[in-house]
Amino acid sequence: MTGGAWLCLAAPLVGAAAITALGTSIPRRAAAWISTLSTFVALAGALWAFFSLRSQPGHRGELTTAWTWLQSGNFKVGLELLVDPLSTMMMLIVSGVGALIVLYSVGYMDGDDQERRYFAYMSLFVFSMLMLVEGGNLLLLLVGWGLVGLSSYLLIGFWHERPSAVQAAKKAFVMNAFGDATMAFAFFILIAHTHSLSFATDFHLHLSTTATSLVALGLLGGAAAKSAQIPLHTWLPDAMEGPTPVSALIHAATMVTAGVYLIARTHPLFEQARTVELLAAGSGALTLLVAGLVALVQTDIKRVIAYSTMSQIGYMFLGAGVGAYANGMFHLMTHAFFKALLFMGAGLVIHALGGEQDIRLMRGVGRLMPYTKWCFLAGALALVGVPPFSGFFSKDSIVAATVNLGWYGWVFWACGVAGALLTGVYTFRLWFLVFPGEPSPFVREHHHRHHGLEGPWTMLLPVGLLAVLATIGGWIQWAPRWHYLTSWLEPAARTLAAAEPTSSQEYWTSAATVLAGLVGIAIAWWVYGREALPVPEAPFWRRTLEHKLWFDELYDALFYAPSAALSNWLRRDIEEQVVLPTGPDLGETALEAGGVVRRLQTGLLRTYVFFLASGAAVIAVVFLIVK
Amino acid sequence: MLGPGSAWYLAVAAFLFGIGALGVLIRRNPLIVLLSLEIMLNGGNLALVAFSRHAHNGAGQIFALSVMAVAASEVCVGLGLVVAIHRRRLALDVDRLSELRG
Repeated sequence: MTGGAWLCLAAPLVGAAAITALGTSIPRRAAAWISTLSTFVALAGALWAFFSLRSQPGHRGELTTAWTWLQSGNFKVGLELLVDPLSTMMMLIVSGVGALIVLYSVGYMDGDDQERRYFAYMSLFVFSMLMLVEGGNLLLLLVGWGLVGLSSYLLIGFWHERPSAVQAAKKAFVMNAFGDATMAFAFFILIAHTHSLSFATDFHLHLSTTATSLVALGLLGGAAAKSAQIPLHTWLPDAMEGPTPVSALIHAATMVTAGVYLIARTHPLFEQARTVELLAAGSGALTLLVAGLVALVQTDIKRVIAYSTMSQIGYMFLGAGVGAYANGMFHLMTHAFFKALLFMGAGLVIHALGGEQDIRLMRGVGRLMPYTKWCFLAGALALVGVPPFSGFFSKDSIVAATVNLGWYGWVFWACGVAGALLTGVYTFRLWFLVFPGEPSPFVREHHHRHHGLEGPWTMLLPVGLLAVLATIGGWIQWAPRWHYLTSWLEPAARTLAAAEPTSSQEYWTSAATVLAGLVGIAIAWWVYGREALPVPEAPFWRRTLEHKLWFDELYDALFYAPSAALSNWLRRDIEEQVVLPTGPDLGETALEAGGVVRRLQTGLLRTYVFFLASGAAVIAVVFLIVK
Repeated sequence: MLGPGSAWYLAVAAFLFGIGALGVLIRRNPLIVLLSLEIMLNGGNLALVAFSRHAHNGAGQIFALSVMAVAASEVCVGLGLVVAIHRRRLALDVDRLSELRG
């Protein structure tokens, strides 16, 4: 069992190291295949861990310690891996979806002159993400947390000759660094009070209510930054500057969902600070609405999907926040399938159109790319949550879990249903703008096929597999009837009693969200498909949404502008007026002083001796007088 | 105690030291300067030995021996410098060797 976990963790690291060490001595293609192989080995390791955990009675999991990593007084942290239902599930998602996406990259990045660097980063990312989910204590989790931030930074800025990519990478890094800092503060409080960073600490025994709330807030800050939840969400849309498979892997399937994993993993602590946990749910509810609204007006195919990712992670936060951890994790899994599928389908379109991402130019791509069209449709239906596609099973159960919580539960419920409507509109706006109908002149002119196919087989195969997974992946659990996933996760993260709706509540919530989704699709069809209705002209609202509710402008005014003004003032009035002239002044003063003293150096030996002798005489006389 | 008292020895030592110091101050030939320096050192040695006998403590004599060893090395270096100066056909006059003037 633990062997599988170690294999899973080590394989991508070895892959990254091998590509780095071999360098230009291997062809670019070989680097791509080394990376692909290493992630498939990781998948094999994850499967090994999964099946041996399944055969173990009780599925309680196992903590394996390689060695004591650091020790200071009675605080001790080991290099340990945790294999339990939660981490095994994440290992399977990360290495499974990761392997498919890396395979897709083989075709997508073919011909880029820095393929080796790309694949080394990809392997590094998979390793970091596995470190995050397998780490057996909070410190190792933070190690993975930091490393995924680093690899995300490297991959967003992969095309570093583009200034916008570099900007986006920096933005992502800074926002995430903020979250990392709040997490580190939470850890400091934990170490001070419990002398431990273990997941199994009895938090309520050692921590006061205030301390628990502070720790939970710190963790929530880290989770919100990593998962792009309001107010730390502005980096995710810009992160689409990276290559499309990167968006699929890091900014849709795995890394951005780490916040949900963190909440599920540290749920005993969040349950002690229930207000903070509900704050997480509230931030998720707000994010799912805001991101859904902003997605309505985006014109870049990847940005639409990016906002949809934010919105779906909002659902996961909502689920984990109200205490339905298994539902949140379930949506994390199905989302990984259908969102990676949507990104990679978009990647196929972008690839075939020579890099164009503007959906206003794309009408009628489906006529030329039927395979992509149908796969994308499966992903879109799963995203909207139309039965029997996977999103239906996971999203509805999250919304249903909110109903027993009192008035705010109903607010969450309304947000969830409204979000389903928005999801239907923006997803099928994208669909109707890009795929059906007669190909536009732009598409006719720029479309090119790859050896008679819609893309290389390395790209088509993962898309097809994910389309199958996005369709059937949700069947493992249907909340009113069968609960395979919930019972699997029960030893690691038991759902709170308040977040367990009755079957009838499940049914009518499902009906409401599916109806909302279908209404959304219908609206999109009327406006963008049949063009029977004009797109509503509401200049103020349109401008607000196009500016993403002015979050960037607000942060610029709040943080960037004051610090830039302060720095400019410091440069102009302190650096240039005071600091810069000081150096030469000091030098000149020293020179002048030296000029006075140098006259004493006559170069005549006998004067020196005379001074020595007279000095000794004076001292002798002084001694004689003082005695 | 046999012989003259310690004060006499100290007087001789001071006398030697004074002669040496005057020589260093007045003479310009480096050879003579070195020679005067040796006289100063030996004045110091005599004082050390005198005090050593006065205090019934051998440490002063050991010091005198170390001073002799150091003086011998110093003379080696000094005479070497004198020879080097002569080889470069510079004047053997300490007042004219004043290149380090500030």
